[in-house]
Amino acid sequence: MDNTEKATEVLAVRDLVVEYSSDGMPVHAVNGVSFDLAAGKTLGLVGETGAGKTTIAKTIMRILPDHAVRKVEGQVLFKGEDIRAISEVVMRKVRGKQISMIFQDPMTALNPVKTVSEQIAESIRLHQGGNKKQAHAKAVEVLEMVGISADRADEYPHQFSGGMKQRVVIAIAIACNPEVLIADEPTTALDVTIQAQVLELIDKIRRELNTALILITHDLGIVAEICDTVAVVYAGQIVETGSKEDIFDRPTHPYTRGLFAALPDMYKDVDRLSPIDGMPPDPTDLPKGCSFNPRCWYAADECKKDAISMTQVGTGHFCRCCRVDRIEV
Amino acid sequence: MLLYIIKRLLLIIPIILAVTIIIFTIMNFVPGDPATISMGGERITPEQLEVLRENMGLNKPFFERLSTYLYNVFFHLDFGVSYTTGSPVGPELLVRFWTTFRIAIAGIILTVLIGVPLGIRAAIRANTVEDRVSMFLTLLGYSMPPFWLALLLVLLFSLTLGWFPSYGSTSFMHYVLPTVCVAIGGIAGLARQTRSSMLEVIRSDYVTTAKSKGLTENKVVYGHALPNALIPIITVIGSQFGRLIGGVVVVESVFSIRGLSVYLLNGINTRDYPVVQGSLIVISFLFAVVMLIADMFYTYSDPRIKARYARIKKSGDKNAKAAG
Amino acid sequence: MQKRRVERIDKSKRPGSLPYIWKKISKNPGAMAGLILLCLFIVMSFVSPYFMKSYSEVDMRDRFATPSWEHPFGCDEIGRDIMSRVFYGARYTLSIGVGAVFLAATVGIFLGAIAGYSGGIVDSVLMRLMDILQSIPGLVSSIAVVTALGPGLINCIIAIGISYMPQFARLIRANILGIRGSEFIEAATIINCSTGRIIFKHLIPNSISPIIVQISLMIAQAGLTASTLSFLGLGVKEPMPEWGSMIAGARNYIRDFPHMVIIPGIFIMLTVLSLNLLGDAIRDALDPKLKD
Repeated sequence: MDNTEKATEVLAVRDLVVEYSSDGMPVHAVNGVSFDLAAGKTLGLVGETGAGKTTIAKTIMRILPDHAVRKVEGQVLFKGEDIRAISEVVMRKVRGKQISMIFQDPMTALNPVKTVSEQIAESIRLHQGGNKKQAHAKAVEVLEMVGISADRADEYPHQFSGGMKQRVVIAIAIACNPEVLIADEPTTALDVTIQAQVLELIDKIRRELNTALILITHDLGIVAEICDTVAVVYAGQIVETGSKEDIFDRPTHPYTRGLFAALPDMYKDVDRLSPIDGMPPDPTDLPKGCSFNPRCWYAADECKKDAISMTQVGTGHFCRCCRVDRIEV
Repeated sequence: MLLYIIKRLLLIIPIILAVTIIIFTIMNFVPGDPATISMGGERITPEQLEVLRENMGLNKPFFERLSTYLYNVFFHLDFGVSYTTGSPVGPELLVRFWTTFRIAIAGIILTVLIGVPLGIRAAIRANTVEDRVSMFLTLLGYSMPPFWLALLLVLLFSLTLGWFPSYGSTSFMHYVLPTVCVAIGGIAGLARQTRSSMLEVIRSDYVTTAKSKGLTENKVVYGHALPNALIPIITVIGSQFGRLIGGVVVVESVFSIRGLSVYLLNGINTRDYPVVQGSLIVISFLFAVVMLIADMFYTYSDPRIKARYARIKKSGDKNAKAAG
Repeated sequence: MQKRRVERIDKSKRPGSLPYIWKKISKNPGAMAGLILLCLFIVMSFVSPYFMKSYSEVDMRDRFATPSWEHPFGCDEIGRDIMSRVFYGARYTLSIGVGAVFLAATVGIFLGAIAGYSGGIVDSVLMRLMDILQSIPGLVSSIAVVTALGPGLINCIIAIGISYMPQFARLIRANILGIRGSEFIEAATIINCSTGRIIFKHLIPNSISPIIVQISLMIAQAGLTASTLSFLGLGVKEPMPEWGSMIAGARNYIRDFPHMVIIPGIFIMLTVLSLNLLGDAIRDALDPKLKD
């Protein structure tokens, strides 16, 4: 990795491994994840529920539930510095200010006993100083940026609808102009019509503030709309990564291809949809070799032995499959 | 908000009324003739007994006696005259109520001051050795019979060490052991409830949100988690009060304190109905008032509930309707 | 159509069922210790009269004896062997505890179910009655009832049971209000199920989980109340060796012969502790939200 590459990467994750402990059993949530995020760009982290996407996000923010976590390894390089190695005190200056997160369920993400402006102002006062009045004024500004009028600033979360609550969550996240924004399935809990609005809002803000965005989702449609690069996550690993065009026009990994094949095609008339056979693996008991091999129609003996590493299949396009050169694209 | 308080205060009255009626009725049908009792074993001829009964108004029909009693109590605060001592029950109730009240309040304050922080600490350090040990100790305290604990405390601190007196209620020192005794039972229960309430809240999403803002652990726990955890805790304090009163009853008995519950128990043993009735009514009233106070705290701390009763601002009203 | 072998459902995996509860409890060391201790006490309570001195045998030469080989727990103020008294006495605390709670649960569930299902006036009246009952603190109302009925084992059970009843009534009522609008209840009504049947075969079984939790937590509480009542002279009286009344009798001798006070109290504490440990374990098994 030469210095010119490093200069545009605002976030780089290297060989991240996270293991939980549940009822005494080890849960292999994240198994060697690496990706880069360039400044001002959007990375889509795509995968099914339980693939480990949220864990990756929480690991970057260092807000994993300590009591359940057994092992965390790897590096998270923010602007060149490994934020996994810094002290908690220093990390607190990063959280909420330089890297912040939008959470999945707006109904429970807000504190019921504080007004929305208080919750935003708290972040502002913490990272940017100022007295209560100034922070409140700034909070109102941020609220207007996300489309909530000033006269609602002192209301409580329960007085807002789901879509508006999510806007408040977004407001909290962007209040201090972070350089990296992680959005964890920000629209999953919302109605379809509101989804589009919120997504548009996130994209607009990202462009205005030039924030790098990691968008975690299981919805390929959303990825197509606003992402620049895509990483496909399966069983705690990235199985394919590349630009949006690479993934959508030339999907290589059998899992990725399976995902696209499962999408209903508006122009074709079929009797049955074609889902991927089988179920995602149990993270306490992952298959040997490639985690996808039990469901892969293309699997051979070599897929069941050792861990598979990434193969380059194009510029900036990588695939974690040992038989990739024999797959017809 | 004010409306709500007034409404709740007014609600206490019918309940106390109903309690009074029920108690009067029960006492009425219990075997034992009040007139005979009030003679305290002195010999008396049947004619004199009849005259006494007439004087005590015992021959009047039940409903007439009931309404007279209710009228006297609620309009004149006249609780009648004790069968055994002959002196009015009302003033005695007042003095004893004050004694009991002081112990109860001191007990509650001590319980909250120690119990809540203990529970919070246990929740933050959940599943560590410290947590398990303190939870086991509280379980032990919760399982101890309060009268036994009182006697043990007397044995240790009064008889062996001589630090505190073991009976009476005249000085401050006299109140220490009883209060501690009452508090220990309460602390155990409150600490456990605080812990489980905090644990539930700490796992909430909004606590994760708070953490992700970069706030310190203290701020997250005390600024975000605790205000939400307090809501069920306050309800528990309210319901623990019932147990606390039970503790006060026991403590007064063991430490020979001239309080309300001893008055009640003596009244029961000697079938002194005016005393029993009066004490039960006052205790119920005290209980109801404490419940109301707890309820008010609860309403105040949860804006979702406060909103139902507060005056809605004009613009807020419009927007609340629009957002739906 | 292919025939598929129906798998035997592993009952212990079904939450809420008895095998499931057992499996969870057996993993909890505290609960198992408590269970063993309780069984021990119950067994000793029944077996001890056969091989120990009778609990009422008076021997004035042994007054106030301190613990020794012949009398491992010593003797009380009229020479009765404390160990046999203490072992025998377990039956009172346990039977009152269990009896009172089951009485409270049965009557409470009955009333609460009717209130919850009927709504309207019936509901209001029943709930007001519960309010009134609850406005008198538990111990005090038990005292009041025992006064009216007189001392004794059965009356104790009734008194404590009455004071615990409102909690069960409220619990089941809240549960029923929650599921009353459910579709499976609608379905039952449509096929002409009688009200009684709906209440007992559909509503109650679906609300049973929190009730079980409440029951297990309250038995310990009831045991404590029972011994407190006896201590105050209002429950099981002399010469019955109820632990609370044993302590009351020993009160005056505490300075010189503390063993008479300490030993029965330890037994009360151990019994209540065991019941609490079991109750906590059952609650953890049935209410996943409360798991750590």
